[in-house]
Amino acid sequence: MSEKDIISLCPKAFYPLWKRSPIVFTGYILVIFYFLFCLYYFDFSLGKILSGLSNMKPILVAMFTWNDFFNWNFNSIFTGLAQTLGMAFLGTFLATLVCIPISFVASRQIFKFGLIRFLIKRFLDFIRGVDILIWAIIYVRAFGLGPFAGLLSIFTVDVGTLGKLFSEATDNADARQIEGMQSTGASKISVIRYGLIPQIFPIFISQSLYFFESNTRSAVILGVVGAGGIGLQLTERMKAQYWDQTLFIIILILIMVAIIDTASRIIRKNIIDE
Amino acid sequence: MASLEINSLVKKFSETTAINDISIRILDGEMVGIIGKSGAGKSTLMRLINRLIEPTSGSIAYNGIEITSLKGKNLKQWRSKCAMIFQQFNLIDRLDVLTNVLSGTLGINFKLLKLLKIYSKKEKIEALTYLNNLDLSDKALQRVGTLSGGQQQRVAIARAMMQNPSILLADEPISSLDPKNSKVVMDDIKKINKQDGIMVICNLHSLEIAKEYCDRLIGLSDGKIVFDGHPSSLTKELAEQLYDLENE
Repeated sequence: MSEKDIISLCPKAFYPLWKRSPIVFTGYILVIFYFLFCLYYFDFSLGKILSGLSNMKPILVAMFTWNDFFNWNFNSIFTGLAQTLGMAFLGTFLATLVCIPISFVASRQIFKFGLIRFLIKRFLDFIRGVDILIWAIIYVRAFGLGPFAGLLSIFTVDVGTLGKLFSEATDNADARQIEGMQSTGASKISVIRYGLIPQIFPIFISQSLYFFESNTRSAVILGVVGAGGIGLQLTERMKAQYWDQTLFIIILILIMVAIIDTASRIIRKNIIDE
Repeated sequence: MASLEINSLVKKFSETTAINDISIRILDGEMVGIIGKSGAGKSTLMRLINRLIEPTSGSIAYNGIEITSLKGKNLKQWRSKCAMIFQQFNLIDRLDVLTNVLSGTLGINFKLLKLLKIYSKKEKIEALTYLNNLDLSDKALQRVGTLSGGQQQRVAIARAMMQNPSILLADEPISSLDPKNSKVVMDDIKKINKQDGIMVICNLHSLEIAKEYCDRLIGLSDGKIVFDGHPSSLTKELAEQLYDLENE
């Protein structure tokens, strides 16, 4: 066969991109232009970054100059750290408990009433759509400054997100295993216990662990708006320009997150391999 | 004549010995079927030849060049020379057929533009020619994931041919195909062997197919060679022993 004959088998493969899929090509062009426009609009330049970085130099120096270390208020720092950990743990734990029944109701496989399912899903979307910081500010107004407001905001946002993830996991569960249980004549509760829960339990646990870890980090931010924990200690010190103590707290937070990350990886591995 | 020589090859996994002191010589142009029940070490042998896994000891040489010690660029060159097709096809589902076939050139002729899926006209023509030979030119721009198993295996063959190989390793190429597609794929492999003179080493668990298509059979059992010869000299007793039939 000649070259021409081969090309005629699939001429489209030899078109340039703009001719083969003009929509994709236009998309690329638009993204490139938008990207360049944003760079221009925000006056994004290397010089600007460098001059900003040089302003940061005294802060960095102050961070690494640790004076009268032994007079620091370790009591408040470690209490804050423990509060943050507790907020994240309790918030995630409560959200997990609430989300298990919600996910059954929000899942197609288990619950047949479409309207209720729809309403629950939209409600979860709404909770999730409002950022955790906004919940924290609202709760601080209602319940006062302190970790309780932080705990509630973590709980709220997690119900929205875990509820969705759990119900998706339930939706994606293997229908054959459920059918197999139904075929034995088992009751609905037994079908859920044996046909569904062994499939979704490891997923639930591993997602909750991820959230525990990421909530520990969010809980730090929550302190900034007054919702207690180590974040509060951190902001106070930054406002007072105690950069050495700021760095110390940041290091402690990093260590705490690393420990949780490692621990949850070990737990996940054991649950999934089981 | 060029040949693949395997000498006292051993591959141990933590507790089991998958390949236990194997020596074979395969000549260019041969079509060899490796037979044996699952777990006999067929796949391991194939992966060792392509160097997807490392042997515990022993040697593999092609044309007098030791394969087991190749590194870096030379290793990649060797892999592109011994193209491989798999039971589950191992294609990139989300990319179209033509791009999958063209990706066979990445090992022998890499260019940065290829990371943007941009290939030369010459390569596209070559890829389309292989697809046309395998009756797939009309599917060129379709996503691989949408094709049937038989079609996907033929795309895999086209990708292998794009590598311009000296050896074609086929690891259970028809195990996930129906009888009709099995025949099409085996015919295509045979054609590559006969027309292009490419050495084919093919793992098969079906003895009938192996006898029908291969000039030489090698029987593996527990990582050892228990038969090596023309299909006609494989006795019924030996075949039964090979597949452990008396135990079933």
